[in-house]
Amino acid sequence: MADTAIRTRTQKPAPAKGRGRKVGRLPRAAVHHPWWFALPAIAVFAAFFLVPNLLNFYYPFTNWSSYHPDIAFTGLDNFKTIADDGSLLRAIRTTLVYALLAAVFQNGFGLLLALLLEADSRFNRFFRAVFFLPVLISALATGYVFQALLNQDGAVNGLLGTNIPWLGSTTWTLVLVTVIHGWKWMGLSMLIYLAGLKGIPGEMLEAAKCDGAGPWRTFWSVRWPMLAPALTFNVTTALIGSMNTFDIVQATTGGGPAASTEVFNIYMFRIFGQGLYAQASAMSLVLFLVVVAVAIPLVIGLRRREQLL
Amino acid sequence: MSTTANTPSTALPTSAVRRASGVHPAWRYGRPALVLLIAGLAVGVPLWLVAVTSAKPQAEAITPNLDLPRQWQPGSNYEDAVSQGEMLRGFLNSLLVVVPSVALVLILGAGAAWVFARRKSKLVSAAYALCISGLLLPPAVITIVMELRQLGLAGTRPGMIAVYTGMYLSTSIFFMTGFIRAIPVELEEAARMDGATPQRIFRQIILPLLRPVIATATIMVMLYAWSDIFYAFFVLGGGEKATLPLNLYKVASAQLYLNNWHLVFAYVVVMSLPMVAIFLVAQRKIVSGITSGAVK
Amino acid sequence: MKRRALPALAFICAAALSATACSDPTAGDSGSSSDSGGKQTKVDPTARLDGVKLTMWTAQNTVNAPKQVIDAFEKATGAKVEAQAIPDPYEQNVPTKLASGDKPDLMFWQPSISTLPFIQPKQNLLTLDGEEWESKLGDTEKSLGMIDGKRYAAIVTSPSMLGVYYNKDVFKKAGLTEKDFPKSYDELLALGSTITDKTDAAGFYEAGGDKWPLQWQTQVQLTDLDKQWWADLNQNKEKWTDPVVVDAIKKYKEKLLDAGLAQKNYKTGTFTGQADSLWKGESGMVLNVTSFQSQLQAKYSTAEIDKKIGWFPIANSSATGMYSPDQTNGVVAFKTGDEKRQNAARQFMAFWLGPDYPDYIKAMKIPSVQPSVPTPDGLPQASKDQVAALPTAIGVFQAKAIVAPDTHLYLADMLYGKKSPQQVAQAIQDQFAQVAKAQGASGF
Repeated sequence: MADTAIRTRTQKPAPAKGRGRKVGRLPRAAVHHPWWFALPAIAVFAAFFLVPNLLNFYYPFTNWSSYHPDIAFTGLDNFKTIADDGSLLRAIRTTLVYALLAAVFQNGFGLLLALLLEADSRFNRFFRAVFFLPVLISALATGYVFQALLNQDGAVNGLLGTNIPWLGSTTWTLVLVTVIHGWKWMGLSMLIYLAGLKGIPGEMLEAAKCDGAGPWRTFWSVRWPMLAPALTFNVTTALIGSMNTFDIVQATTGGGPAASTEVFNIYMFRIFGQGLYAQASAMSLVLFLVVVAVAIPLVIGLRRREQLL
Repeated sequence: MSTTANTPSTALPTSAVRRASGVHPAWRYGRPALVLLIAGLAVGVPLWLVAVTSAKPQAEAITPNLDLPRQWQPGSNYEDAVSQGEMLRGFLNSLLVVVPSVALVLILGAGAAWVFARRKSKLVSAAYALCISGLLLPPAVITIVMELRQLGLAGTRPGMIAVYTGMYLSTSIFFMTGFIRAIPVELEEAARMDGATPQRIFRQIILPLLRPVIATATIMVMLYAWSDIFYAFFVLGGGEKATLPLNLYKVASAQLYLNNWHLVFAYVVVMSLPMVAIFLVAQRKIVSGITSGAVK
Repeated sequence: MKRRALPALAFICAAALSATACSDPTAGDSGSSSDSGGKQTKVDPTARLDGVKLTMWTAQNTVNAPKQVIDAFEKATGAKVEAQAIPDPYEQNVPTKLASGDKPDLMFWQPSISTLPFIQPKQNLLTLDGEEWESKLGDTEKSLGMIDGKRYAAIVTSPSMLGVYYNKDVFKKAGLTEKDFPKSYDELLALGSTITDKTDAAGFYEAGGDKWPLQWQTQVQLTDLDKQWWADLNQNKEKWTDPVVVDAIKKYKEKLLDAGLAQKNYKTGTFTGQADSLWKGESGMVLNVTSFQSQLQAKYSTAEIDKKIGWFPIANSSATGMYSPDQTNGVVAFKTGDEKRQNAARQFMAFWLGPDYPDYIKAMKIPSVQPSVPTPDGLPQASKDQVAALPTAIGVFQAKAIVAPDTHLYLADMLYGKKSPQQVAQAIQDQFAQVAKAQGASGF
């Protein structure tokens, strides 16, 4: 097609389209990329993603349940219920702690792996694939694997010769579950950081070496700032994505012990099962609002940092 | 520390680049050793547990440990997992739900991405922002059940496909828009000079060039949709339309009083194989796609 | 241009919103026309039903329960019955499936007043008053499956009995014999104390990991609450925070758990661990329902079980058993709108509890629900003791309260030090009131 570029831009009639454009003029940009190419996507997205989220602003204020077919407006009843019995605050706190820790572990592991496997040797490429394996196994399956490993009579206690109830601590089990979350997704973070590291211009590193900077200094002053875009992506997706977590928690602890790992989705799963649909959707709305409240400042903040660096 | 290669494919041999302040000898051997240790512990142990337990008879698998099975029965375990866990039906259902979802996500996403990448108005930007909001915002799972019930799609596979498509369009649009922006407009303009309609340009120029990111988008969507249980539970429930993860959940919940870890892990192995296979085959494309799409 | 997209979008959104805002089309639909309270035609258990296909939902642990009767029924009538196992948690997944429009012809369901409302019996189920088999049921069994005076469930198996399984060797070592069997809960605790002091075994095995068995120790202590109290509870005139309940929870915590009468790992104990522990003599007693025994029956022969394990009933102030209706006891039939299938479903039940019943209980090796059909031989002595205790047994709260709160979850919280006994009772009351309100029960 390169030869056609040599042709002079003569006035070509607009390619035959019944769109009512004036013939004889250079087609306008709009016509080249007709909006209706995007319409199906927008329609499906609106219908099956936006609309439910919009409905989420209605149903929590009703008495929708499995016990009767009619749905009546009940105002803030559901929110009062979840606030009064403590589950609202608990879900928010548990989910935020989970998200924070998951993001820390996922990124920490991922960055560590990226630094270890930076060079493009065959050895490294093989192990990059190895560390990507957990990403490919379903989260639910991951949860069951670790449930078996961390059982009080399980393999980990067997290996270490201890008898610790890993999944039975109301303080530490949550941390452990986030470690598992980090384990599962570290391969993805690793890839992003690898790309980020590769994107650092060689001249900068050469310059640092010429200035006599050792590996640690080079990392902190040169490489870490240059990793900002990768960091933005990784932290954002990890933090926000893990607020929507379910599989790993359900498979390892089911929300226990004593509801100490009951994140939003686990709560919704349980309450929906009790037939209290409106109450479950109230929590769904809270999750939405929390995500928005966290995501907006986060993205703005990280982007700003990117631009500064 | 590391080599200073700019492009992956032209990595210089470490020996040629090492300088005075270069790699410490201990680190040269220590690093691979460390990698091996971490890989062995972090990845090797869990996978070993799964493999080994899936080959044990029930009595040995009650409390899964890292010992080799005294009695090998992978065959019967896998057979049981397949039949009791209705794996074939689950596999078929998963395919019937995930494949159309991925196809729809790719096609619809590509079309939308093309528009978003090329047109510059405020409205288009707003629409783009809206369409990638799904990357961050959680799907409203409870109310989507209500919507599907109203539409008569609750508990049906088309309903599940609709939900997955809605959920993952954002991912697809995000990656593809970025990619199309990198395709020179001149290619399209040249074709337009020849009198090609937008449909033809899209089909014959854009789509073929999108191949790398199609592979990426496919694997990203498959990663989530293939192993999803949360949304499948609400939309499909159990029964004959259940997907693989739902069946795994069923098999594993029975673990409570059935002690069937050996079946659970046999199931896990079979369930993970497709994803691992796809990854091994399309490794390079996937990796390059993810990395180029993310670090924008 | 893009301008056309916006109105289209807005229309889609508005249409969807208005369509969905109205009502839930699938909750309790179908058959809201006249309640089938009118005379139903009598069914002949063995009439031919060629070409009729019925679906039956079972839980994962009842997937094999109807096998014998299905095979016999298919042979006798030519009908086809397909059993589908619904994944656990059964009592949550079934209402979800029903709500999405899926409906079977028959289904296992707990025939209690706390669980039948989940599936909206008035709208969804056929009434079974006056069926042939109804009069053949034993007294306790007959009281199950009724809501507001109407029968919605057939009782096909004997309700689970809650009692104490004990290890005979441990008892011997502790110097305990049959005359030491307790006649009150306090005496039971004293037994536990004796075992803990005189042997290396723990008095009790508590399953804090699996949680659901935790409720029994408290339930046993509530048997003195009379019918009036439960009726008041169901109308919000009494509450779960009543001193009787709180004291029961307190006693469990202080006199059993804190006193060291339970096994060391009670916080993470499991249902399967219970069976192992009792069998090996690491625990002396297990307070649980009959499903506990099924674990042993799956592994050991009747003779072995009889040699090692015994059973006795216990209530708060007498040696009375408690019965716990569960999902394996009741079968309900749905109003599908297809009269042929509905009658076939009723015929299936009549066949089950009629001509097939003796063969059924013989094949399943379970006690009989009909006094006129004797319980088969070959059952462990424990089962025979339970059958003897059933007629005088007291129901667990699931059979008395209109909502069955997740008491075990809150008790587990207490085990982890997150809730005091008072707070446990409060949490039970909160959940009870929430669901009762959603059900539209009067007084809430």
